[in-house]
Order: sequence, then C-alpha cells, then structure tokens
Amino acid sequence: MKVTAPYEEVCRYLGYKKGVRPEPEADALIRTCTARVEQVAEPRTVSTVLPLTFREGNEMELGPIRVKSAALRRNLLGCEEVILFAATLGLEVDRLIARAGAGRVAEGAIYQAAGAALIEEVCDTANDALRAESEAEGWYLRPRFSPGYGDFPIACQPEIARLLRTPERIGLTVTDSMLLVPVKSVTAVIGRSRQAIACHRQGCEACGKTDCAFRRDQA
Amino acid sequence: MNLREKLGRERLFFDGGTGTLLQAQGLKGGELPETWNLLYPERIAALHRAYLEAGADIICTNTFGANTLKFPAGGQFDLETIVKAGVEIARSARAEVGREGDAYIALDMGPTGKLLKPMGELDFEDAVSLYAQVVRISAAAGADLVIIETMSDSYEAKAAVLAAKENCDLPVIVTTVYGENGKLLTGGTVASTVALLEGLGVDALGVNCGMGPAQMEPIVKELAACASLPIVVNPNAGLPRTEGGRTVFDVGPEEFAAVMETLSAYGVHLMGGCCGTTPDHIQALTTRCRSLPFVPPVKKERTVVSSYSRAVEIGRNPVLIGERINPTGKKRFKQALREHDIEYLLNEGFAQEEAGAHILDVNVGLPEIDEPALLTEAVCAIQAVIPLPLQLDTSDPITMERAMRRYNGKPMLNSVSGKAESMEAVFPLVKKYGGVVVGLTLDEGGIPDTADGRVAIAKKIRNTAAQYGIPAHDIVIDPLTLTVSSQADAALVTLEALGRIGPEVGCPTILGVSNVSFGLPQRELVNSAFFTMALQKGLSCAILNPLSAGMMAAYRSYRALTGLDGQCGDYIAAYGGQAAAPAASAAAGPAAPLDECVIRGLKEGAAEATKAALASGAAPLELVDKLLIPALDQVGQGFEKGTLYLPQLLMSAEAAKAAFEVVKAAMAGQSQEKRGTVVLATVKGDIHDIGKNIVKVLLENYGFQVDDLGRDVAPEAIAAAAAQPEVRLVGLSALMTTTVVHMEETIALLRQQAPQVQVVVGGAVLTAEYAERIGAHCYAKDAMATVHFAQQVYPQV
Repeated sequence: MKVTAPYEEVCRYLGYKKGVRPEPEADALIRTCTARVEQVAEPRTVSTVLPLTFREGNEMELGPIRVKSAALRRNLLGCEEVILFAATLGLEVDRLIARAGAGRVAEGAIYQAAGAALIEEVCDTANDALRAESEAEGWYLRPRFSPGYGDFPIACQPEIARLLRTPERIGLTVTDSMLLVPVKSVTAVIGRSRQAIACHRQGCEACGKTDCAFRRDQA
Repeated sequence: MNLREKLGRERLFFDGGTGTLLQAQGLKGGELPETWNLLYPERIAALHRAYLEAGADIICTNTFGANTLKFPAGGQFDLETIVKAGVEIARSARAEVGREGDAYIALDMGPTGKLLKPMGELDFEDAVSLYAQVVRISAAAGADLVIIETMSDSYEAKAAVLAAKENCDLPVIVTTVYGENGKLLTGGTVASTVALLEGLGVDALGVNCGMGPAQMEPIVKELAACASLPIVVNPNAGLPRTEGGRTVFDVGPEEFAAVMETLSAYGVHLMGGCCGTTPDHIQALTTRCRSLPFVPPVKKERTVVSSYSRAVEIGRNPVLIGERINPTGKKRFKQALREHDIEYLLNEGFAQEEAGAHILDVNVGLPEIDEPALLTEAVCAIQAVIPLPLQLDTSDPITMERAMRRYNGKPMLNSVSGKAESMEAVFPLVKKYGGVVVGLTLDEGGIPDTADGRVAIAKKIRNTAAQYGIPAHDIVIDPLTLTVSSQADAALVTLEALGRIGPEVGCPTILGVSNVSFGLPQRELVNSAFFTMALQKGLSCAILNPLSAGMMAAYRSYRALTGLDGQCGDYIAAYGGQAAAPAASAAAGPAAPLDECVIRGLKEGAAEATKAALASGAAPLELVDKLLIPALDQVGQGFEKGTLYLPQLLMSAEAAKAAFEVVKAAMAGQSQEKRGTVVLATVKGDIHDIGKNIVKVLLENYGFQVDDLGRDVAPEAIAAAAAQPEVRLVGLSALMTTTVVHMEETIALLRQQAPQVQVVVGGAVLTAEYAERIGAHCYAKDAMATVHFAQQVYPQV
C-alpha cells in the first residue's frame, strides 16, 4: 500500500493553526521527515466481518467480543454486522521516533505528527476499499469507530488483537496498559448496515472533545 | 537412527495446518486452540493420526500459543496440564498408527504475542523464562524435538532458542515468517536471520506461514544461498483470502505438492504445510516428493555478523568497523560514561553510521564503572535504533556474556587472545551464543616480534577454537598494529603476517589501524597510507574512525582501484562534483552569528559559530549568558505567544544544545555549575516519550542537570532517583488514561520516600484539575511551562 501523509495534516498535528505556514527552516525539516516516515512505513491492515447483536442497555456483542458503550451503540444502530479492522505503520516508524529521542527532538515531533497523519490516511484508504467491497454486496458502512472514542473502552484492544491475530499477521501487539505497539497503529469497528444513512461526521469532527488543541475545524 | 542423524541426511516431512482445521470443526475466532487438548482430545488425536497416515514424519503438538501470558496461573486452564496433554495426545496417536519407530513429536512453540523491550514491554529474560517453562514440561512429557515457528521477531526467536537449549537436549528447529518484501515483520532479512540462528546452534531452520509455496520461492532461493543447515519449508495453502467473513486458502493438494517439488530442487530438506493445508495436502506432498533426489545441505563457510535487520559479510570487500564508541583517550566520552549519558554514545553511533561504517565497535570500559551493566545497556540502546551489527569490545568475559545474551543478532567480539585463559573463557560463549571473534596474535609470551610468531599464534587460536566446535570462518585474526615511531619494522612485520594469515591459517583478518602512527604529527597521513598497504595485503576489516576523511578516501580509492566498486559508483557518489567543497566551507567560517543560528534553528551553524567564538578568545560562560540564553528566551517567548510553533522551538533548542556541546567539550574536565537536578520519567506502562524528551532538551539548555530515567519506569525506580539529596524536582509524563493511574501511584510513593521533591506533570490526557487531584505540585501544559516551574524550584543564586 503506497500512501502519503498530507502536509496540512502533519502541520495540524504539530500545532500549527489553520492557514499558518511553517517557517522556512521548519518547513524544510517537516518535508524531509515526512518523506522519511513515508519511506520506512510498511502499512499493513487486517479485517474480518462479525455478526452484531444488541443486548440490554448499551451492551453489544461483536462476534465473541462483549462491549458496553453508548457512543459505539449510537454509531452502530441499524447495523447487522461489523467489520473489525486493524492497521499499523510497522515498527520501523517506532525506531525512527526512538532514534530521534537521542537529542533530535524536532525530528521526533515531526515523525510523530507525520506518523499520525499517515496512519489516518492508511485507514481511510483501506476503508475506501472495504466500502467498495461492501457496497458491491449491498452493505453500507458507518464511519470507523475506535476504542478510546467516547466511552468505547480501550480495554477491548487485547480481544480485538486476538480475534484478528494481529501479532502474527501485521505485527500489532497490545501492552498491559492497552497501548498499541507499533505506536502508529489503529484498531476500529465499522458498522455494516442494509440501510443507507448519511454520515457526514467522521474522524476528528465526530469526536466529543471539542476543546482539543488539535481539532481540525478550529480557526 | 535418531532424529539428529537424519536431519540433513534424508528428506523429512512435517504435518500441515492445525488451527484452520480446528476452525472447520467449530473452534471459534478468538478461542484458544490449545484448550482443545483438554476439551476435545480425540479431535486433536484424529488430526495427528491423519497426518501420520498421510506420510508426515514429524507432527507438531497443539501447543502453539501455550504460554503463561495466554494461560496465566490461576486461570480457567492450567498451562502444565495443557502442554502435557498436547505431548501425550501426539504420542498416543503415533502409537495407534504404529509409527513409534520413525515418527517424531515436535513441541510446537509460537510467538508470545507481545513485543520485546525496548520497543514493546516484554523483557528479554521474561520471554526466555516463559518459553523455558513450556520446554521443561514437554521434554519431561516425552517430546522428541522443539519447533519454534511462525516467528516474526528475531529477538523473540533468540529468547525461545536459548530457552530450548538451556532446558533440554532435544534438536531445535526454527521457522520464521517473511512478508512479500522478503523481511520479517520486525525487519530481519533471510541473511540476518540465518546468521543469528546458525550462531545459536539450532539444528535446522526455514520459513513457514505468511504465504503460499509459490510466493515463497525467492525466500527459499535466498535460504539455500546462505544457510549451511538443513532447510525447512512449511507454506500456507496459498495466500489467505476472506470470503463471506471467513479466511480461505485456494491452493489444492496437487498444486501444493507440485510447487513444493519445484522448491525442493533449490535444496529443501524438510517440507510440510501451515495454515490451510490438510492431511490431503501432506498426502499429495509425500507421494510426490518422498523419492526426489536428496541434496544434503552445503556448508557455506562465510564470515557473517548480523544485527536485527542486516547481515554483514566479512570477505573480499573490506569492512569498516567504527571505533569511536570507546573512552580511550577521550575526556568528553569518559565524562559521558560517568554521567550515564547513553544519548552521547548513540550520537557517536549515528555519526559513524552516516559516515559509512558497516559495524560499530562498542567499548565502555572505565575502571570506576559497572562494565557488565553498562555494556549491556549500551548495546540494548544502540541496537534498538541503529541497524548496524555491533562489535562487543571488552576484556571481561562476564561483561561479554551479558552483552552477547542480549544482543539481537550474531555479534562480532573483540576479543580473544592466544592465552589459554582467554580462550577458555571466550570460546564457550562463542559456541553458545554465536559470534565472530577477533583473535589477537599474542599469548603468554607477549606479542611475537616476527610474522612467523604471530602466524603460529593465529594457528593455535584457530585449532583451539575448532576443539570447541567453532569453525575457522568465525575467527578473524588481528596480527596487531604496533607503533612505527618506536620500532622501525613494526608496520612491515604486521603487513607480512597479514599477508600470510589468509593462505596459511584460513581466517579473515582485522587491524586497528590508527595505532601505527602513535607519537607522530599528522597521524591521518600515516594511518591512511598504512591502511592502503594493509588492504593490498588482503585486510578483511579495519577498526578505524569513519569520520576521518583521509581513511575514507583510502578505502574508497582502494575499492575503485581493485574493481570492488563497479564503475567507481561509490567513489563518484562520495566525491563527484564537490572537489573544492571541503576547503571552501572551512574557510568561509560560520554561516551566521551564534544567536541568529539558535533563533533560526541551524544546528551545524550554531556549533561552528561557538567554535569560532571560542577560538577568537570568547569566555565559554559569557557566550552562554550573553548569546545563547537570550536567544533561547526569545524563541521561548515566541512559542508562548503563539507566534512561533513547536518545530521551530525544538530546532532552536537543538541548535542551542549543539552550541552547549561545544562549550562542554571546551570545558571537559573542569567542574561545571549546574542549576539543579531534575529527574524525568515517563511513567510505568507508558511508552510514548516524545514529550519527555522535548522537556529534557529544554531543561538542559537552561542549565539543569537532567536525570532521564526513560520510559515505562516503575514508581520504585523514580522514587529511588528522587531520593538523591540534590534532587528537588521530578517531572512525570503520561499519555494515556490507562497510565495516569501509575502517575498517581508514583506521586503517592514520592510523598513517602522523597517528601522534599516537587512534582511537575504533563501529557495529553492531563488537565490542571486532574494534576491537582493526583497530588502534583504543578501541571505543565508544555515544555516551556516545565522550564518556568523548574526555575521557580531552583531560583538563580
């Protein structure tokens, strides 16, 4: 999968306000470091389809995984199935970030931002492919929803990883603190429904944390 | 004939898939297949029987994921019962089909599912322990061999191999998973993986899972080209494909067997299947391939060292070993070691890597330090971020063993000598962990004055190594460089010995080149001439300073002149179109004044400007107070006002740091005033450390001594560091809601054990209110806020 990190997104993750151009020296470093991340990243994704069952209150079953989350429930209402999805940029991006830890902090911050922008792009690209496949079979997809969004507990990460066999298949592992390693990784649930519902709000804009410093729609 | 005798002498067949077949019988996604050893033993037994009847010679126990991480003590299923049952089911299945005489039970161990430190959280020794437990149970239960399979991390594979070899005498086979890019998920290549595993002394190695047989062809070719051991190929039944939510494989038994026949021609000695393959696949495979001509493995006799991702061959093409990670004669480096400044070592490594070194020598020997601990720590830190193989340089066998054990690859070792004591200490380590060892041509009688004497010691080293089972190609002989200014024929004797070692001893050669010019002016002139002469005599590798333009010029010129650099490509890449550049930049002086360099974030410029200012007589501390700090303040204020952004702030900080480094070098040895000590750590469970690293650089620039404990640090370790009498401030970072709890725990412990310290906290999920609630003295929203708080805690005197 060859994907690139959008420059504006990298800048947003670095804290630049909308419309602000980085200083010439910073601009050059941002472009160099972003290219380096794109070069060492080895994006891999894996997914599977699971039946979805709504239980009492906000409880749901995604195949064998039991989840309680009002936010996820809202996202999945009207769906019969979910796609369980995971993606990672691979360990070389972690190494690049760690390497910069030895005193090259500007590079480190940019690798971090470029990695964040790139993994989002990888997810979007993979989701487009899944959408096309699903629509061919008469399914409509909901926006992807990740553990940690709203009240969707990140304690679900180990079960998601085990079900998708992410350690063996894409090298994605979960720590005891529920962190994903490699760090630039995403797991998500994507609802599949027979009804088309307009879902305009996606990603950043869908999040409830409106005071976030990195929020995309701020001036 | 026992299995070890059969390996490499006759073709053997493995069984096929397990998980995919159990799924067809109702195993659910996410359900642990090993539980079926207890829940449905008859189904597992039936599968084993089917494979044995299909002609498999080796069947794998249903224990792939059986370890304490997946079956913790006190859980629903007991690990020991599951593993024991796995071996017993396989044994009884073998008895039922009457194959006790010629079929073997392999204890099957797969990856732990956790990533090892430092990228992940599983400690190397913990990984060894959890594999060791399974090995002991199954060896006692009667397994005939150990297969470590589906490994995608060479480091984890090493842990598993050590566990197997330290806890049983059974043959050990390792197969790894390669992607379509020809690499392991963690970056290893075929060559680097083979070097590691052969060094560890496994009995056979190869590839499994990931791909179908057809896609494996390039991997099999490469394995055949570099492995000396029997080769195993256990592919999937094609590439996995999802169909209606289920994973399916498309390659049928006959097609599978046909492709395997093609692969076997490259020199494959053990064949079987992985995901999606069935007893029918194995039946077709054994029918078609059993009587194919068998080509035994070929010993390659190459000298290879490796890192996690790279193999370096020491052969005709000269290999450069960077010498700069070594305190000998370097005040600044010694200071770094005493201050436990691993970052300084890493930067020496980066510089040499960028200059073109192929291997890095690592020496941290100083009389007053704990060398075993520090070399191991340095090796772990370097190998995490630098892909070059390392040469572990120590005269202490304990230090050597500890570093070898943790090394992620097949290391180079510096060194063994012809002394009996040295050989007795070092060779068992080389045999156990693998490595290419430098043999110094000196012994109890000292360094012989003649080439004859040095060649004789080289032969003694080679012959003694052979008694330990270490082949000549894993020894690199150093005929020793002596100082030409004190002994006129010193270089000539070395060169003569050098020329004779290849033909007479059969080992590659190495020299530490720089010693030759000791005591002379313009040493690089003599060094580079001597280097060229040594290369002409067949020198295989040199320990040198790759940042020396003269040495690199000698190396590149030699390769161009001897046809090693095809069409002089490397030479032209290094020197093309920049003939006058080095002289010009030296004459032009710094690009801009120091303060401007800092403000614009020009790292090299800031260092150059500082050097120029010092050379013209500026007082170091005055430079700091009058130029550096005001420039940093200006940038910091811009950042706080929102007129300047994070990358620029950090680039300025790095430029200032580069300038400080020049000042520090100029003042090395003198005592330097520090404003106060700040202990920094990313709390337990949290591995995101960029924020902490940013804070560190800024604090250092403002004159604070930073004790950086790293990431994922236990509360006890933080409390211990904070309890040092000079510490008044601790900075903690946490990025996730799941790790903030450890921050709270750490603060509580600090209150008890280091009540004199103040605590500043930061991290994405924190807020001022939350920080207050968990007992922090200050919430810092960014790195500058931490600096301001530190300035309050340690007021300027």
